[in-house]
Amino acid sequence: MVNPIYLFVAALGGAFLIGPADKVNKNLSFWLTVMIVGVMAWISGSWFHFIEKGGESAQVFTAGLRPPVSINLMLGYKEAFILVLSNVAGLLGIFALRKRFMELPAYAMMLYVAMLTGVNGIVMTRDIFNLFVFIEINSIATYALIALEPSRKALSAGFKYMIAGGIASILFLLGTIYIYRLGGTLNIDQLAMLGIADMGKAGWLAAFLLFSSILIELKPFPANGWALDVYQSAHGGVLALISSANAGAMFYALYKVMPILGDQFLGLLAVVGLVTFFFSNLLGTRQHNFKRLLGYSSVGQIGLMMGVYALLTKLGMEQARILIITGAIFVNHFLAKAGLFWMAETIEGEDLTAWGVLRRNPEKLFSFGILLFSLAGFPPFPMFWAKWNIVMGLAEHGSYVALATILLGSMFEIFMLLRWLGVAAKTKTEKESADHYGLEISSRIFMLALIVIGLRASGFFIVNSFNMNTYMLPASAVAMTPLIAGAFIYLIDWLGVKIKAVLTIVLTGVYLYFIIPAVLPLPMLFTAVFGLGGIIIAFASMYRKINVRGFYPLLTMLILSLVNITIANSTLEFFTAWEFMTLSSYLLLMQGKNAQEHALRYVMFSMGAAFLIMTGFAVLYANTGVTDFASLLLGRYPFRWSFILIGLGMLVKMGGIGFHVWLPGAYAEADDDVSTFFSAILSKAAVYGLLLAILVYTINYRGGFDLRSVLGWIGALTAIFGALMAVFQEDIKRLLAYSSMSQLGYIVLALAMADHLGWTAALYITVLHVMFKGMLFLAVAGIVHATGTRLMYRMGGLIKKMPLSFISVLIAIIAVSGVPPLAGFGAKWMLYTGLIQRGWYLRAGIAFFSSAVAFLYLFRLIHSMFLGQLKVEHREVKEASPWLIAPQFALLIGIMVVSMFPTILLKPLSAILPDSIPGQLAWQEGTLLSNLGYWNGSAVMWVTMGVFMLVLLWLILWLRQVKKVGQFNIVYAAEKPFIPETTHYAYNFFPYYQKALGGLIKPRATSFWNGVSEWTASTAGAIRQIYTGNAQTYAMQIFLYIIVLYFIVGVGL
Amino acid sequence: MNVTTLFGAILLIIGTWAMLTHKNLIRIIIGFSLMDTGIHVIMVSVGYIDGRTAPILDQAVNKAEALYRVVDPIPSALVLTAIVIGLAVTALMLSYAIRMYQKGKSLSIDDYQETKW
Repeated sequence: MVNPIYLFVAALGGAFLIGPADKVNKNLSFWLTVMIVGVMAWISGSWFHFIEKGGESAQVFTAGLRPPVSINLMLGYKEAFILVLSNVAGLLGIFALRKRFMELPAYAMMLYVAMLTGVNGIVMTRDIFNLFVFIEINSIATYALIALEPSRKALSAGFKYMIAGGIASILFLLGTIYIYRLGGTLNIDQLAMLGIADMGKAGWLAAFLLFSSILIELKPFPANGWALDVYQSAHGGVLALISSANAGAMFYALYKVMPILGDQFLGLLAVVGLVTFFFSNLLGTRQHNFKRLLGYSSVGQIGLMMGVYALLTKLGMEQARILIITGAIFVNHFLAKAGLFWMAETIEGEDLTAWGVLRRNPEKLFSFGILLFSLAGFPPFPMFWAKWNIVMGLAEHGSYVALATILLGSMFEIFMLLRWLGVAAKTKTEKESADHYGLEISSRIFMLALIVIGLRASGFFIVNSFNMNTYMLPASAVAMTPLIAGAFIYLIDWLGVKIKAVLTIVLTGVYLYFIIPAVLPLPMLFTAVFGLGGIIIAFASMYRKINVRGFYPLLTMLILSLVNITIANSTLEFFTAWEFMTLSSYLLLMQGKNAQEHALRYVMFSMGAAFLIMTGFAVLYANTGVTDFASLLLGRYPFRWSFILIGLGMLVKMGGIGFHVWLPGAYAEADDDVSTFFSAILSKAAVYGLLLAILVYTINYRGGFDLRSVLGWIGALTAIFGALMAVFQEDIKRLLAYSSMSQLGYIVLALAMADHLGWTAALYITVLHVMFKGMLFLAVAGIVHATGTRLMYRMGGLIKKMPLSFISVLIAIIAVSGVPPLAGFGAKWMLYTGLIQRGWYLRAGIAFFSSAVAFLYLFRLIHSMFLGQLKVEHREVKEASPWLIAPQFALLIGIMVVSMFPTILLKPLSAILPDSIPGQLAWQEGTLLSNLGYWNGSAVMWVTMGVFMLVLLWLILWLRQVKKVGQFNIVYAAEKPFIPETTHYAYNFFPYYQKALGGLIKPRATSFWNGVSEWTASTAGAIRQIYTGNAQTYAMQIFLYIIVLYFIVGVGL
Repeated sequence: MNVTTLFGAILLIIGTWAMLTHKNLIRIIIGFSLMDTGIHVIMVSVGYIDGRTAPILDQAVNKAEALYRVVDPIPSALVLTAIVIGLAVTALMLSYAIRMYQKGKSLSIDDYQETKW
């Protein structure tokens, strides 16, 4: 192995040659720089490889003497890990900066090498004064590199940085000299054994000065305005290294000196770090300048790293686990941030909207998405696993304030990042993105590295904690299947729509074939709903004429992640699949034409739900140590708080009352087949989750206030308000969205009963809802496609043009409304019977009333679309594509069969219910008995069909002399309406009901959530005023910050 | 605490004050330089021991009794390094000031706040 000292030899020796080489040829000096950094990367890489394979770490004693007489360097696993990342980033960074290097004199490259030398030194040295020297080498080179950007703001930002850095270095020197005076040595390891901070006031003060110096370099809120200005104004190539290598080295410096300072600084560091994380992300939500936004994010991530490291150490988590967590955040931040800064430099302009150029560059958009999603903490990236472990660890130690801070901060971060993604994907711009090969390639390489490292990290965490029911397949493969299958289809995305649809169907089918034998009966129902439902949608999607990139990969990913939710055996397995589902559904939604804002709202609510669920799991783990579902079914564990959190999460995800504000927009603006998926299938994921939660709650219920009763109310209210809001919609997809909400309310209500009848009803409605909502949304997809509008008053008279769609809608709404003879009736009958038997009379009444309201909107649906006069512009309308009609009729046949023979569905549903759900269904042949009455679905069907036939015959036989009237055989008044649509009978269809009931459905929830977001925004806007942009104000803030910290912590001494 | 340390501390405070109150870039840099010098004086004072001589081994101080006759040499060595670094930073600051003046035609720090929030 090469002695690590050659890292410096190569850098310094090489840097001196750059000058002369530059005199000969610009290319020569450039490639010399590449060679120098290449050698550094190689040395650190070979050491990393060597140590990872079990080799010993390197210790270098300079001048051949041992410390304290000499300075020693240490290159262990952690050091090698940081250095290999930094030096590789450095190597790529040269290519990213190539254009600038070629324009500038040789000193730019020398400075660059000096900056990296500083990083290497900071990480390796074990001498505290030497640490100072390397920090200064690094800083001075960085200051100078910032000035590469010949703009006024870069210069002033650099100057602010120098002031801040200058203050930090003075504090460092002051601290160091007194530590030396007290300890008699400068060696970090020897100092660590002395306990400097405990040597009276002087010792504590010395430690405090050193601590605050390094802290300032790590940019704590609010003493970090200078850093944000630097991030806003320097060259992206330089910023990539500042935010990754420099920040990483400084973090490691802090990590190194923490043992000198002692444990009393851990608490302070934890608070400082988490406050920084929280506020940076909060303020970042207001940011429109993308480099500054990245700055906020960088500062926040470093804060998270500090806070988490310190807090977990303080709480006594084992060091190995802390290092894995911190390392995961570190590597994630490092690669993503460097990649993003490189990419940012390729975008001309400052505003987020400048990223609209990515819209026409799908590869780059993909790369951008990967970088953002890794920062946002989606699986499979390391941040996801880190966050999970952090949340579990904090809950385990009862640190719920920190947990809430981190999750809330993460919400802001996700908002900030995904809003940006939305802008990039949806802003229309005429600009072409310019070519910047170096920057592009560097950023792509880090994007790929993130994927590779993400998969490796996933492998590590899955192997250590997964225990899935996976039949013949290994757990790690199954957990990643959604991703792998999606990636596979992404690779062949250039193929035609039909081929990819078939491939999606085949992949899903094969996966089901492998998975189904391992699934337990109750989850298997949902496996089937998700798998078969997905197949139906994939089939229907073949109506698409345009090959939208990314649609099938995401659809496949979504279907398989839903399937994976049902095979999860433990909380982490569930959550991993859940997050894959969130991610893919968000991206699918985003493909809708006007979906930008709605997709953002959807993903924010979904992530809120996910965090609630995760916290619920964490509380469970903290209280009981349980992570697997099987143990929960033993009935030995308290489940109250977890139930509240998980239940709330599920309600948010399904759009329960109060949380429904994301729902209409998302359903309406998604592409039509995607809306179908959302409403008919995706919503059942939350149903499944809620079902599991109620099951566990019921099993573990030991008396006391029964939360299921509250849940029943929520279900009933969701049902009624969903129905009421559906009545007054003009947009057909919004109508169906609210109708879905209402139906899910019934399911929640039925589940909340937690008895056999209730659950059978719940599952029955679930399955039926998949069928009839599938039919309705697919029919609407065809109609919207044909008529080009979603507004019902723009339609009318389509019955002759689209008879098949009409039949489908007719049958579906009969089934939805719950009138005999179709299956919906049985579902409602069981629901009401159950509610009345339980004594939930008022809830039964509300449910009944909302069924009545449902008639209004269902009637409106069929009336305004199919009946009445055909619009002139729709005269050429054709029946929907057979790809849409066929699945509708398959579902229609399903509904008819189930209506005719309800027992073929009800008996299995009743059979798969666990014994812990009390009660039994009493069957007499095909008749379902209860003490309130009985119901025989087949008999009802026969009777109704008989009556129907009689009437039909009468009509056919006796009403032959009807005179058919042509469309325009009517009298017009001689007036031209001012606003034509207001004269349409289908516009404002229910004015009287609106008068009577409109007050009930004022958008209170929407105003509430708008209020939340406005308050957040204005708070952020107010707080960020502290960043005045004035160097002296920043300096003052730094001093005040340190003084305040001193009083907070020092007062206790 | 001895007089030298006190002197250093006073320099440090004057420098800090100058840096925080003066608007002129050059004066701010001078303030920074004063802070730096103050720190250097404090560092030297920490290693100083009353009644001892410079840590140079020659006829006056022989190796055997050097330990008891010279001041602690380490702080002096550190100061040398710190001075060099301080010089580099000061020089860089000054060149920043020149560049800023070329771009912004002003030496007032208040004229350079285009990036904020």
